[in-house]
Amino acid sequence: MPNPFTPIIKGMKITFGHLFKKPVTLMYPEERPKVAERFRGLHALKVSHDKAKCVACYLCPTVCPAKCITVEAGEDANHDKFAAKYEIDMLRCIFCGYCVEACPVDALKMTGEFELANYRRTDFIYTKERLLEKK
Amino acid sequence: MVTLTIDDKQVQVEKDATIYDAAKVAGVNIPILCHDKKLKPFGACRMCLVEVEQMKGRLIPACTTPVTEGMIVRSSTAPVEKARKLVLELLMLNHPLDCPVCDKGGDCELQNLAYDHKVNANRLSDEKFHHQIDYNNPLIERDQNRCVLCGKCVRICDEIVSRGALTFINRGIETKIGTEFDGPLSCEFCGSCISVCPVGALLARPFKFKSRFWALQKKASVCGYCGTGCSVTLGVKDNKVLTTVYDENQGFHNGQLCVRGRFGYQFINSEKRLQSPLVRKNGQLVEAGWDEALNLVVSRLKGAGNSAAALATPRMTNEELMLLKQLMTQQVGSANIDHSAGYAHTALTEGLFKSLGVAAAPSAITDIQKSNLLLVLKSDAYETHPVVGFEINMAVKNKDAKLHILSDKRGKLAKLPNATTLIHKPGSEVALLNALAKVLIDENLATAAASVAGFAELAAGLSAFAPEQVADQCGVSADALKGLARAYAAADKALILFPVGLAYPAHDAQLAHAAANLAILAGKLGKEGSGLLVLQEKNNSQGAVDVGFVPAAGGMNAQQILDGCVSGSIKTLLVAGENPLISYPNQAKVKAALDKVEFLVVADLFLTETAELADVVLPVCSYAEKTGTFTATDRRVQKIEPAISAVGQSRPEFKVYGDLISALGGQAPVTPAEAFTQIPAYAGIDYASLKADGTFASVAIKPALVLPVAPALQVESGKLALLTGAALYHCGTLSQYGEGTVAVCPEGYLELSHADASRMQIADGAVVTVASANGSVKLKARVSLRMAEGVVFAPYHFASSAINQVWTGAAVTSVTISK
Ligand code: SF4
Ligand code: SF4
Ligand code: SF4
Ligand code: SF4
Ligand code: SF4
Ligand code: FES
Repeated sequence: MPNPFTPIIKGMKITFGHLFKKPVTLMYPEERPKVAERFRGLHALKVSHDKAKCVACYLCPTVCPAKCITVEAGEDANHDKFAAKYEIDMLRCIFCGYCVEACPVDALKMTGEFELANYRRTDFIYTKERLLEKK
Repeated sequence: MVTLTIDDKQVQVEKDATIYDAAKVAGVNIPILCHDKKLKPFGACRMCLVEVEQMKGRLIPACTTPVTEGMIVRSSTAPVEKARKLVLELLMLNHPLDCPVCDKGGDCELQNLAYDHKVNANRLSDEKFHHQIDYNNPLIERDQNRCVLCGKCVRICDEIVSRGALTFINRGIETKIGTEFDGPLSCEFCGSCISVCPVGALLARPFKFKSRFWALQKKASVCGYCGTGCSVTLGVKDNKVLTTVYDENQGFHNGQLCVRGRFGYQFINSEKRLQSPLVRKNGQLVEAGWDEALNLVVSRLKGAGNSAAALATPRMTNEELMLLKQLMTQQVGSANIDHSAGYAHTALTEGLFKSLGVAAAPSAITDIQKSNLLLVLKSDAYETHPVVGFEINMAVKNKDAKLHILSDKRGKLAKLPNATTLIHKPGSEVALLNALAKVLIDENLATAAASVAGFAELAAGLSAFAPEQVADQCGVSADALKGLARAYAAADKALILFPVGLAYPAHDAQLAHAAANLAILAGKLGKEGSGLLVLQEKNNSQGAVDVGFVPAAGGMNAQQILDGCVSGSIKTLLVAGENPLISYPNQAKVKAALDKVEFLVVADLFLTETAELADVVLPVCSYAEKTGTFTATDRRVQKIEPAISAVGQSRPEFKVYGDLISALGGQAPVTPAEAFTQIPAYAGIDYASLKADGTFASVAIKPALVLPVAPALQVESGKLALLTGAALYHCGTLSQYGEGTVAVCPEGYLELSHADASRMQIADGAVVTVASANGSVKLKARVSLRMAEGVVFAPYHFASSAINQVWTGAAVTSVTISK
């Protein structure tokens, strides 16, 4: 018959061990988490040469399973294509990251931004201006 | 028949088939890039390479190689696959591969082939092309960097459109598709080249960046412009018609469209569309609700009897015309209904009705390519009905049909190989046809018709029309006339074509009699590829005639209605879709009528010049928003279904007139399907099985010879003869709201000969004043090779320079021109 105290001692060992380790609990919001590099948070439109890299190819709205991306293309003075409208409805986004994967020009990324709570539904519509990468 | 084996499947095909055709029959898919079923084999791309047992040692292009007996073909062996892959790698070597910003993405043959053949890397590398992109015209963007030199655009523009605006220029790696002197593209803008381009080298600018191909809903419909009745596919996104989509399997025309059909769709979602009913209050048209507007109309129509009248446009569906007719004749009790100014339909309602016993032409557009001889009255047939023009091009170029043109001006058709054009003096077409009939009778070429009713009277009545007698007066030599009559009689299958419409008052019942006489005399009726075709102006001109939207017994016709408005006998006028102020002759008279009439109701898509004068304006739907049928010029009944929901508060006219009928205590058919069954001309056609491509309604003819009265026309001495007509880029006044059509042809013009221009020292593009006894208008001069000396031409579509200020409905108007 095994010693009935062995499991108790084992358990207490772990408890004592943790007394001397760094705590896991974060005192959010005073303390902030450090999110992983691959974390899929709020989207950002990458900027290059002071312009959004997005060429309005419509691949991200096409691939998006939640159908939450709206793109409208425009023609600029050089007859080139740009996103005259780029909008993501964060209430519907499921953070799958397919849009980032689909982008042929690497114009879209997902940031570590996760604090997306808000008061009004309209505040969840992220327009192009709001999505542009902040430097 | 030839028997051969493709991928172990045995097939039997005609002996002029190619391996590609045979493979299709066998159900074997051979990839192609430069081949098109509408065009002649070309063999430029080498995508279709196959292995043939009997020709070992090299790969054979399937699209150009004719089949031979016992051939053994393999379509996808390892060497074939390897070669195809190399072809694709070479094609993509200098290609920009900018699919993300290329509108062709998703509908691109090169993309599809690269995907199918797994070409995801290139073993070769070279510089990309640096051709300049052509943005010089409003409709077609040409990016030669994406071109794969398949030559389809060049070939379609030559073989079908017969314009020849594009060609290969330079050689080797420098080769590109160029225009005349490598300048900006200036052509018909039919967009056929765009439709066949397998890549994004030719793109429609009005659709640029508007949507991805895969995001569009494709809705089959019928072009709402002319009577050709082309099937179109509308590209719809977010309840808006964004473009027309090419479908090579659609209609008798295999998806071919003209500039109006392809680029004139923008009127559907135009910002100018009326959003709500308008009612005049204190002299101003202000927005009102439907109930208010309809109540007002009801109060005016109730018990109005013959003091009310209606003018309708033959752009409405058959069912809507039925309802409006019921409303006017039964509920309102008025016999005064008409369309097309009261004369543009008389070639059918009076002419063919007397000559053939039916108000419809006996032949179909598909007869054109089966004919041996085409006799076109008025070269304008190309401008009024461009896709019919394509059929003529193909008949002449591919099927060796002889083309004879009898016209008051030259035109594009006259440039076809072996076309014979007889230019006559304006207004003498009936006399000329009478002379031809006389030759047929005199030379015993009409013996078969001797028993037809009216033969003796005709033979006697034509005594004054011997070619020698009319030659001088018509400006055509007697020998030429005799030659034409003999050629016409000798042809096994001969087809006469002429356009009718608001701008062609000379193409009336008399001309229809004269043309029908020829066909009857020479025995050309009742045969495939032979007979008579009347090209009607609007998409449902034939339908308006079939429904009988003409004055009921004792009723007034359109011109009498306008007179009645002035005299006060017509107190309420309902104008459904017509814009008489611009499109009917004699603007002063129309204006007086519309000003004078007590109550004017206009149902239209836009606040047209006519609608601006109305007391009540009802916003109605375009063809893309409604259900019903149109009847094309050859009695092809076509069904349309809504592609989008109604714009703004607009309603289909079917509902508007149905509501008015109920409000006046009548019972209207509930659905278009029910209304359709009440059209006697279409008895025997099953509404449910109708499609956009159409079903022919029968035309049973009972020929009779009628002596046509040739009008005496004289141009006042010292003056020029003004002819009205249609411009290629427009149809009626509706195309004024289609941005694409306006972009390439924004304003009216006056075409005149070089001789007249130099005599009066008028430079091309100068603004001149054209004046007749009735008024004057300023137009831009266009000096052209088409016109004969002393004859000028002006299209009639334009509100900004309406020719009806000068023209009062005469076939030929005497005018003076000043700078
Ligand atoms: S996939 Fe990329 S380039 Fe295309 S629309 Fe989306 S963000 Fe823009
Ligand atoms: S033509 Fe085709 S392959 Fe070329 S860029 Fe356009 S979509 Fe891509
Ligand atoms: S638009 Fe028509 S006429 Fe012009 S180049 Fe293309 S095919 Fe030819
Ligand atoms: S422009 Fe288009 S249709 Fe014309 S040759 Fe090039 S790829 Fe072919
Ligand atoms: S306008 Fe006439 S010819 Fe042109 S596409 Fe429409 S129906 Fe066809
Ligand atoms: S398809 Fe046969 S060579 Fe192009």
